Amino acid sequence: MGDAGEFKASSLADLERLVAFVERNCELAGADADSRFALHLAAEEAFINIMQHGYGPGGGPVTVRLQVEDRRITLTLRDQARPFDPTSVPAPDLGADWQQRAVGGLGLHLVQSMMNEVRYESDAGRENVLTLVKDFPDAATRP
Amino acid sequence: MQIQFESRYDVSVVIISGSVDSQTAEALLAELIAHVDAGHLQLVADLGGVDYTSSAGLRALLSTVKATRRGGGDLRLSRPTPNVLKVLELSGFTSIMKLYDEVDAAVASFGPATA
Repeated sequence: MGDAGEFKASSLADLERLVAFVERNCELAGADADSRFALHLAAEEAFINIMQHGYGPGGGPVTVRLQVEDRRITLTLRDQARPFDPTSVPAPDLGADWQQRAVGGLGLHLVQSMMNEVRYESDAGRENVLTLVKDFPDAATRP
Repeated sequence: MQIQFESRYDVSVVIISGSVDSQTAEALLAELIAHVDAGHLQLVADLGGVDYTSSAGLRALLSTVKATRRGGGDLRLSRPTPNVLKVLELSGFTSIMKLYDEVDAAVASFGPATA
């Protein structure tokens, strides 16, 4: 598996550099525009979720690793915030009318919808490990 | 991200461009709500120049839809790019918001000007 490297963040202010890291490496991996958009969005939503809900004001360390294998990109986010399993969050009620629709709670739903796999592990309560997997089409078979 | 307002009779067209993410959506929401508070309840967002939005942008749009509709108006969307349309669809927003292919059609949807 090709390891495109690691990005270390410590606060919300690192979002822009994280996105640049993800975009650059997805492009180098040969991912199509739709997959690059999906990975950009998933990286932002997962990162913001950890910083805002995991750590809270002030932030904390998050390590993002990007790996490329054939036509698969795997993003792994590790943090030491309180244990939180984003895959356990119930899906928002997409059928609710505008008065009832909650203004938040859509980020993780978008991540689940746009990734091929979303996995969460808690490493003995010391570390949260969130794995996001996106398969992208072969350039030769794209429409 | 850049925001610009244009008046078309009773309707305000909000031209948004660039990337709407966790860092820029707050500014977008603040501008939209200030505009609504100033009495502009019929809004059309021109999304033709928005190449990216995350859930933060959706929150800004939904909050503005709620604010305008409570006052008897609406925020209608026009010209979403493929990326933005996908996010709107996955979130179920296409069934609670009105979407138009063209800005003019969105403006006309509010009916004849009363002023």
